[in-house]
Amino acid sequence: MVAMTEAIESAPAGTTEFTVVGNSPAHHDFQDKVQGTLRYGADWKLPGMLYGKVVRSLQPCARITAIDTSAARELPGVVAVLTASDVPFNKVVDNASGGLGELTVAQPVLAEDRVRYTGEPVALIAATEPEIAAAAVDLVDVSYADLPGIFDPEEALEPEAPLVHEAGNVLVNWRIGRGDAAAAMAAADVVITGEYRSQHVEHAYLEPESGVGWSDNGVLTLRVSTQVIEHASQIARILDVSENKVRIIASYMGGGFGGKEDMTVEPYLALLAWHTQRPVRMVWDRQESILASTKRHPFVMRYRTGAKADGTLLAQEIDIIGDAGAYPCLSARVLFAGAALAAGPYRVPNITTRSRAVFTNNVPASAFRGFGAMQVVFGYESQMDKLAERLGLTPTEIRDRNQVSKGDTIPTGESLHTAVELTATRDLALARLGPRSTATGPGCRVGRGFASGMQPYGRTIWFRDHASVWLTLQTDGSLLIRSGVTDLGAGQAASLCQIASEVLGAPLEEISVYIGDTALNPPAGGTFATRQLYMSGNAVLSGARELRDSLAAVAAEELGVPPDTLVWRDGMVRTADSSGQNRGIRLAELAQMCQRRGVSTSNLHTWRARGGEFDPEAGQGDSFPDYTYGTHAAEVEVDTETGVVRVLKYAASHDVGQQINPVRVQGQIQGGVMQGLGYALMEDHALIDGQPVSTLFANYLIPTTMDMPDIEVDVVESGEGCGPLNARGIGEPPVGPCAAAIASAIKDAIGVRPNRLPITPERVLELIDEQAAGRVAKDGDHE
Amino acid sequence: MTGAFEYQLADSWEEAVELHRIWGEDGKILAGGQSLVPMLNLRLVQPAGLIDINPIGAVEPRVADDRLVLSALTRHQDLLRSPLVREHCPILAEGAAQIGNVRVRARGTVGGSMCHADPSGEIPCMVLALDGQLIAHSPRGQRVIDAERFLRSYLTTDLAEDELLTEIRLPIRKHGQGWAFLETVRRYSDFATVEVAATATLSSDAHTVTALRVVVGGVADRPLILSDELLSAAVGGTGRDDELRAVGAAAAATVSPESDVHASADYRRRLTEVLTYRALGKAIERGRAESKGAGV
Amino acid sequence: MTKTQVQLRVNGRTHELWVGTNRLLLDALHDDLGMADVRYGCGEGVCGTCTILLDGEPVSACLLFAVQVEGREITTLTGLPAADAESHPIQDCFLQAGAAQCGFCTPGMMLTALALVERTERPTREDIRYELVGNLCRCTGYTKIVDAVEEYACRRRGNGSHD
Ligand SMILES: Cc1cc2nc3c(=O)[nH]c(=O)nc-3n(C[C@H](O)[C@H](O)[C@H](O)COP(=O)(O)OP(=O)(O)OC[C@H]3O[C@@H](n4cnc5c(N)ncnc54)[C@H](O)[C@@H]3O)c2cc1C
Ligand code: FES
Ligand code: FES
Repeated sequence: MVAMTEAIESAPAGTTEFTVVGNSPAHHDFQDKVQGTLRYGADWKLPGMLYGKVVRSLQPCARITAIDTSAARELPGVVAVLTASDVPFNKVVDNASGGLGELTVAQPVLAEDRVRYTGEPVALIAATEPEIAAAAVDLVDVSYADLPGIFDPEEALEPEAPLVHEAGNVLVNWRIGRGDAAAAMAAADVVITGEYRSQHVEHAYLEPESGVGWSDNGVLTLRVSTQVIEHASQIARILDVSENKVRIIASYMGGGFGGKEDMTVEPYLALLAWHTQRPVRMVWDRQESILASTKRHPFVMRYRTGAKADGTLLAQEIDIIGDAGAYPCLSARVLFAGAALAAGPYRVPNITTRSRAVFTNNVPASAFRGFGAMQVVFGYESQMDKLAERLGLTPTEIRDRNQVSKGDTIPTGESLHTAVELTATRDLALARLGPRSTATGPGCRVGRGFASGMQPYGRTIWFRDHASVWLTLQTDGSLLIRSGVTDLGAGQAASLCQIASEVLGAPLEEISVYIGDTALNPPAGGTFATRQLYMSGNAVLSGARELRDSLAAVAAEELGVPPDTLVWRDGMVRTADSSGQNRGIRLAELAQMCQRRGVSTSNLHTWRARGGEFDPEAGQGDSFPDYTYGTHAAEVEVDTETGVVRVLKYAASHDVGQQINPVRVQGQIQGGVMQGLGYALMEDHALIDGQPVSTLFANYLIPTTMDMPDIEVDVVESGEGCGPLNARGIGEPPVGPCAAAIASAIKDAIGVRPNRLPITPERVLELIDEQAAGRVAKDGDHE
Repeated sequence: MTGAFEYQLADSWEEAVELHRIWGEDGKILAGGQSLVPMLNLRLVQPAGLIDINPIGAVEPRVADDRLVLSALTRHQDLLRSPLVREHCPILAEGAAQIGNVRVRARGTVGGSMCHADPSGEIPCMVLALDGQLIAHSPRGQRVIDAERFLRSYLTTDLAEDELLTEIRLPIRKHGQGWAFLETVRRYSDFATVEVAATATLSSDAHTVTALRVVVGGVADRPLILSDELLSAAVGGTGRDDELRAVGAAAAATVSPESDVHASADYRRRLTEVLTYRALGKAIERGRAESKGAGV
Repeated sequence: MTKTQVQLRVNGRTHELWVGTNRLLLDALHDDLGMADVRYGCGEGVCGTCTILLDGEPVSACLLFAVQVEGREITTLTGLPAADAESHPIQDCFLQAGAAQCGFCTPGMMLTALALVERTERPTREDIRYELVGNLCRCTGYTKIVDAVEEYACRRRGNGSHD
């Protein structure tokens, strides 16, 4: 280890001098983005390319009695029509819990004898022009015989409920518990109950699911908009070819947010390209994407919270039901996160949490920014507010009495091993709101609220996560990073460059990063769970340090100083002495010297996260590597005559440990808040008996410029975190607290607490009506 | 992905009428395309021929016989930018500013909006509130249609199969007349959940409300004119809050909206009450300012 | 399908292509002319990723057919920088403000903003929000986009006219 490495690691927060990390160079892919020259999934064309389309089920639950493809086949320009019998291995098994007790249920690539949700793929088309492929879709004639479906996860739990899968309707049933919740609840001075509901949410990335596939030299290549290139092995299984015959290249994504974590276009492109032996492009229509892509799980959350008269929490009993939809996808893991985080950042000695993922004939739900841990914020923060009201405490006081600190034990039995700066984030967010606004009209009322949250970053520990990176110093002094990461648009690749630059002193302009290619990059394990800065960032950090160590040996000999005194900066390695001599070697020269001496300038490094076990029986064990904490504060104006809520001010503060790129940290927080406000106030993919009420982008309401206030951001840097240079992940955390903060502000304005999302104008009026009718308890909860 | 169609250009209204006759029900008029092309893209309609009337071009808004004359091809944004519109029918600028987004306003036409006849469209609601007339042309000649008759039902107009809408005529604002266009939306820039267009005429001393006209959109299969009886609580009054609230309540009691993806029937009724009351207040206030201003 | 020949004037150049009459301008630009900066996002006129300037006005290329725009001047993002410049000042402002994350909305956003600043020298943040309401962004939360446009308007006033 070199001295400087030690210095970085041991320096207390704020005193470390970084030259690249902590600044916000707009470099790399961002140049291309503002030039409009970045090539996304659909921006790729090959000679002879066909256009692929998916024929989807119009029924949520039915037997397929016949599929007549003859008319589609006869349409001039149609090259292939595929159905289930054309799929070599028609099963995808996710096993998202990693074998901890979920049902094993396979999802067909193309439905065979039965469909389980509206939008389920039934057949595939490839044609010479997109317009022809679209016309052919209408010509595939699928005959269905209706089967009884089940659309409400609570009804699906009833003993007589129709089964979505023969194995049963409960995909997984997590239990997490400590102490004796029942006894503690009985002994509590106050018990607060609450029921909270959330909705289906669409990712609505601006770039629809898209990609191009082709096969050449016996290898099938897919260049797709995906968060996870590791699906290559799944594709190989589907085609029944060996894994080394499938290559996946991830284009830079036009947004993903978890929606491109499961496979989207991949298996369909693979089948069409394999069968036709021609390049195929597939871009989902927006309406198709809204219809059939995975959604955020609607949760039903029931809380009982017991406390002493002074506000100290004694017990929590929490029950969570998540609508998994028709297939498992990643539901098991999402519901685990919901279970593990259900009590939030509060000490609770006695707790029992049950969290179930339940099958229905609704569209499958899966990963979405916040991943189960965001839904529960609305639950636990509402409970804390209600408890405060009941006891006559302020929302701040109740939290001060119960907030976790470093070293505290959480419901899984683990202890928190990094700083918890919730109070700092809360002070900053509240201060940011400034003086209270005055209402703009007679029927209008202004209200304020805040909410805190904690969000894990990194995969669940029992997956024994690891990420590899390959760094090479070229003989001209430029640096090459090869990593299997995929880039969602949050600067995943650019951050790796910044870290490598910090360690090796190569200027950013001289660093190239090649990402997202299973053939050419060492595996990094997908971009999800806010894990890439943590995993690949650490891999680059330690891989670059290792590389620097071997380069340092050569440089030290050449310069005649001990290796640990060298300074790596501005494309040079220098002696640290201040004698004025200031001798140094340019990295290009150093690389050439190494080459002459047979010293490798290349390093392939694998970084491993801490491993551990979780015991699903006991509901105790290792869960997540660490958490990012934050607090949001909101000021809203409610028009009590129309129910319209306007967000006047919004402030968000998170502890990110150490900022790698401050502008991108702000951007993650501001963008997360936009998604959180949409979730709180307007977004709802409503289904009636499994059929979407609308699949138009005009009707799936994501916030516009006019719906969003300026988002004020304050970042706390505790200097503690498990990421590189003590950073914490910030991708998912900012979506969590929004709904709770808004609900709390609305409660402040109108006196009643919303318990159902989204809080539409109509629901606001209902709450006001209930209050007028005297149906509201003192703490704002409705009866 | 739209299906295949034959594309025809019309350089004049005469040519458009002729092409329209030839194609009959297999042909569709293409104006701004902001309603038609999304439907083509979604394959909801698949006409055999598309008759593009854009090359005809819009004559600038003008005033003739105390009427503001708009070409059917006048674009939404022209309503915002034309000083003549702001002077003579200012409500049009107020309402048009709430249509969609810049791109929609750059292409969408007033004629297309009338013919599309969306029950929450701003243009139909305002044209009805202004008691406008629509000029239709067909091989059989010209026909003048009152807005009330023109807007028949959901996406349905009084135009015969061979008729084209060519012009809209709107009475210009009289002395002492105030106006207001109000709507609520689930999200900025979307179609209104409920919208209200109102005009109010005040006596020359600006004291008494002498006439009101109020149209509510988004609560039925077409925009609804509030009857004289409904307005009676406020006509002849001084625009007091209770008078206006009474009209709002009466309006809410008469509409029977339907529920859809954005709002329930009940909520729409509530909005009818509030927006009617607020629009009246604003229109009367403006009318008062107008008649006072003119007296100086 | 019968095809017709059309001449498109894009970013100061004339292109001749054969397209079906039902070829959307969006597809003609993106697929036939290979312009990656004009993008499909919805086909409903809602999202703004297909924004182009048609004779200087922002319009949705997904709601126009290629055959409709003969003789009109089409500007896309890649047509903005002056011949001797690498980038247009509005692009510099977006880059510096960090107003692009995934970048998918960014070209449309800049074109719409540019047209606003052409017309309104001193737009307020509210003006900017109003004008950009039809350009959806799922990544940034818009704050930095509004910052970038404000900055661009300011720079444009400061040094007379670029472009
Ligand atoms: C994203 C988006 C948001 C929108 N938001 C709103 C909104 O908030 N409020 C609102 O009111 N509208 C809204 N619109 C619709 C917009 O105003 C349309 O422009 C308008 O409804 C139709 O006008 P057009 O000129 O585009 O007509 P087109 O789409 O070209 O035509 C519409 C229909 O009218 C027929 N037609 C057109 N002109 C004539 C004519 N002269 N004679 C006979 N028939 C004719 C056509 O054949 C077609 O059936 C929105 C559109 C989009 C894409
Ligand atoms: S693709 Fe044209 S507006 Fe969305
Ligand atoms: S930057 Fe991703 S949509 Fe705007």
